[in-house]
Amino acid sequence: MSALSDIGTPAATDAPMGRRRRRFLSMGGWELSLLVLLVVVTTGFGLVVPGFFDDVSGFLAMSSNFLPFGIVALGLSLVIFTGGIDLSVGATASLAAVVAAQLWATMGLNIWVASLLGLAMGGVLGAINAAVIVFLRIEPLIATLATSFIYTSAAVAVAGDSPPSGFPDAFNNMGSGALALGSFQFPYQLLLFIPLAVIFWLLVGRSAFGRKLVTVGYNSEAARYSGIRVPRVLAAAYVISGMMAALAGLVLSAYYSAARADMGDVLLLTTIAMVVLGGVSIFGGEGSMGGVIVAVLLLGLLRQGMLIAGFSDMVTSMLTGAILIGSIAIRNVFSTRVGGFGKRLLAFIRRPAAAGPDTNRHDAP
Amino acid sequence: MIQLSREPVTQAMLGARGIVKRFGPVDVLRGIDLELRPGRILTLMGENGAGKSTMFRILAGQLQPSAGELTLNGEALRLASPHAAHAHGIHLVPQEPLLLPELTVAETMFLGRLPMTGAIFRHVDWRDVRRRAQAVLHMLDLDIDIDRCAKTLSIAQLQLVECAKALLHDCRIILFDEPTSPLTSHEVDNLFVIMRRLAADGCTLSFISHRTEEVLEISDDIAVLRDGRLVDRAERGSFDRARLLSTMVGRTLRDIPRRESSYVTEQTVLEVEGLASEPSFRRIGFQLRRGEILGLAGLVGAGRTEIAETIFGVRRPTAGSVRLAGETVTSKPCHDLIRKGLVYVPEDRARHGAVLSMTIAQNVTSGLLERVRQSAGLLSDADETRLGTTAIRDFRVRCAGLDQPLRELSGGNQQKVVFSKWIATGPKVAILDEPTRGVDVGSKEEIYELIEAMARDGMAVLVISSETEELVRLCDRVLSLYEGELVAELTGKEITPAAVSASYLGSVRAEGTA
Repeated sequence: MSALSDIGTPAATDAPMGRRRRRFLSMGGWELSLLVLLVVVTTGFGLVVPGFFDDVSGFLAMSSNFLPFGIVALGLSLVIFTGGIDLSVGATASLAAVVAAQLWATMGLNIWVASLLGLAMGGVLGAINAAVIVFLRIEPLIATLATSFIYTSAAVAVAGDSPPSGFPDAFNNMGSGALALGSFQFPYQLLLFIPLAVIFWLLVGRSAFGRKLVTVGYNSEAARYSGIRVPRVLAAAYVISGMMAALAGLVLSAYYSAARADMGDVLLLTTIAMVVLGGVSIFGGEGSMGGVIVAVLLLGLLRQGMLIAGFSDMVTSMLTGAILIGSIAIRNVFSTRVGGFGKRLLAFIRRPAAAGPDTNRHDAP
Repeated sequence: MIQLSREPVTQAMLGARGIVKRFGPVDVLRGIDLELRPGRILTLMGENGAGKSTMFRILAGQLQPSAGELTLNGEALRLASPHAAHAHGIHLVPQEPLLLPELTVAETMFLGRLPMTGAIFRHVDWRDVRRRAQAVLHMLDLDIDIDRCAKTLSIAQLQLVECAKALLHDCRIILFDEPTSPLTSHEVDNLFVIMRRLAADGCTLSFISHRTEEVLEISDDIAVLRDGRLVDRAERGSFDRARLLSTMVGRTLRDIPRRESSYVTEQTVLEVEGLASEPSFRRIGFQLRRGEILGLAGLVGAGRTEIAETIFGVRRPTAGSVRLAGETVTSKPCHDLIRKGLVYVPEDRARHGAVLSMTIAQNVTSGLLERVRQSAGLLSDADETRLGTTAIRDFRVRCAGLDQPLRELSGGNQQKVVFSKWIATGPKVAILDEPTRGVDVGSKEEIYELIEAMARDGMAVLVISSETEELVRLCDRVLSLYEGELVAELTGKEITPAAVSASYLGSVRAEGTA
């Protein structure tokens, strides 16, 4: 490679070689807008709604109500980055949690060992999704819709007439407990979520795997021609998604101290909303984990604030839907990929500045 | 003479004056004058990229000329859309006219203009459709069932159905965009019979072809395009094969610098034997040595890209073998081949070659992520910056910085980034498919220098190019391909523009190879 450096004339010396744009915490405009919105929403509720922010411990405790969604969102993001979708996350959560609970209840396994087996179960269910998608070449939407039916019925069957409940306190703490530091209470769920969020952030943004994931999602043909083993990347994404769903299922069963077969049903739609609001393109290949994490907090806190303020669940859900449509509309208007109104608008604004038919963009010798 | 339509015969003369077409900075047509006269068949000839199809698309209203005007029977004509062209009686028969595979022959012929009937409940008058479709096919002596599904027809039959469709809608000017290349010689004969009858009936016909023999057989007038200009025009009888070839190639006077030095060694690194991937190509065999630049010449569609993709392991071979540095690698997946030292720079950058939304640095390292230094599983930013900086310096990429998205770069600079991505993996063999496609003139020479430097470094390079000059400029040896088969090999001083073009343009399709 170095031998190539002596060809022809030397490069222009004024070229800004190697200069790299440093972005704040590798966040783009979308992520920062979400962050601003999060701060506005939190401060707004804190000032207006009594009970939203009485003290830090109480404020943090609210997170236990929505972090299972966040855990699923982390895993599901990987799948959506590849341009796929995993509709079986809810069913996977239920099945893995019910299996773990039954292992504990009927076979007398230690609850933590049973939980680890539940996690592995989630990975296996994800691998099944991947196999159906890669080997049978079935669209991810159809494939995971189908497996979600299968996993749900399996969960009902395993759960039986009386779903296991009454887990040890140590386990229940994972869902609803908090680490006491003097008078300060730090919820265990948040303790679990924070490192996971950091890991996923680095995984997507900084690791070789993340780079491949995004490449596959943006253009799987280009990925293949670059020597990326596309099926492997897809399989990894679905396995991780399955495991994260299973983890969320376990956290939910700890939260309720019971493992019900329909527990995971609520997870799916809200989670997709979080990922999409976070700025991950549903077509794959674009977005960032940072955006997803902020969107989890934003939608979660918004919902909690609305509920505390006395709005019904119905109103809250409507608002979630409206925010989703509004935010995606804004994105599309300015997206370079969709080529919508905003792009034309920008092109129109910039047009008078360019002299002639953009000859200046082409490098003269 | 048969009477093809019930209306009095309308004769149409289509003219073009000074037609110019620009795509961005590229002039595809630079002032074309043409005259399509009734009762005659005008053939457009020319090499790849001469502008033939663009001219047709302008005549058919699919493209708007940047300058110049069209005339119909002497009056100025503006064709805002294909629909407008149709309304003026101009019909373009595409090369592979299968738009809606599920429609029947009759429905295909009436597509978009089904006759309606009924005063209150408006509905399609299917009896009328069937009757008229049948009548037109009958007039042309075509034995095609009007209820057959379009997807069950051969390409030849579909082309004939398109002719019938043109007549049905009173189109008297029919343009055929390279109709014969997918046809067998028997089918070509059939098509020519129909074309002659249409011409005899006063229709105005024009078609595109690369095959000199058939052009001489069918044409009343021949127009030769080269680099967007009309370089020769003559009537039947005044043209012969030699004149056609020399005007099409026409560069005998232009001097193309051939490089003096050759870096060819005796060491064979890539051996291809009897390779085939039906129906694209067959019986392909050649050897590629260290330091050699080997060119693959041929018309678009001759199977060159398919050969490259088969060697690279992204397309399945149906026969034959590929050996890389002595090791058999036939149908190994491409990620294996990349590791073994074979890389492929695809023709279509946006689809296969690069991720335009990613930054320059990310594209540079996308071929060798394993080699970027990692700590705790994370790619080292510093190392990536180092690799990226080296790449943009060595390859003289003009950019605002490593974090600029690739799509903001000009075609030439994008291509340099893609090159650097593969060269950084240190390959033994590089296959470059149209390495200067979409690259501005200024950057072309730089890319040629890069390719030479690759050979000097001991790489074996296979260059696929539709630009004759490029092959002449670069190659130690050129293989010519015609319809999936090797037809000629040129070495050293034999590689002149005329010889390269003639080697595949002059090929006559062998009978019964289809």
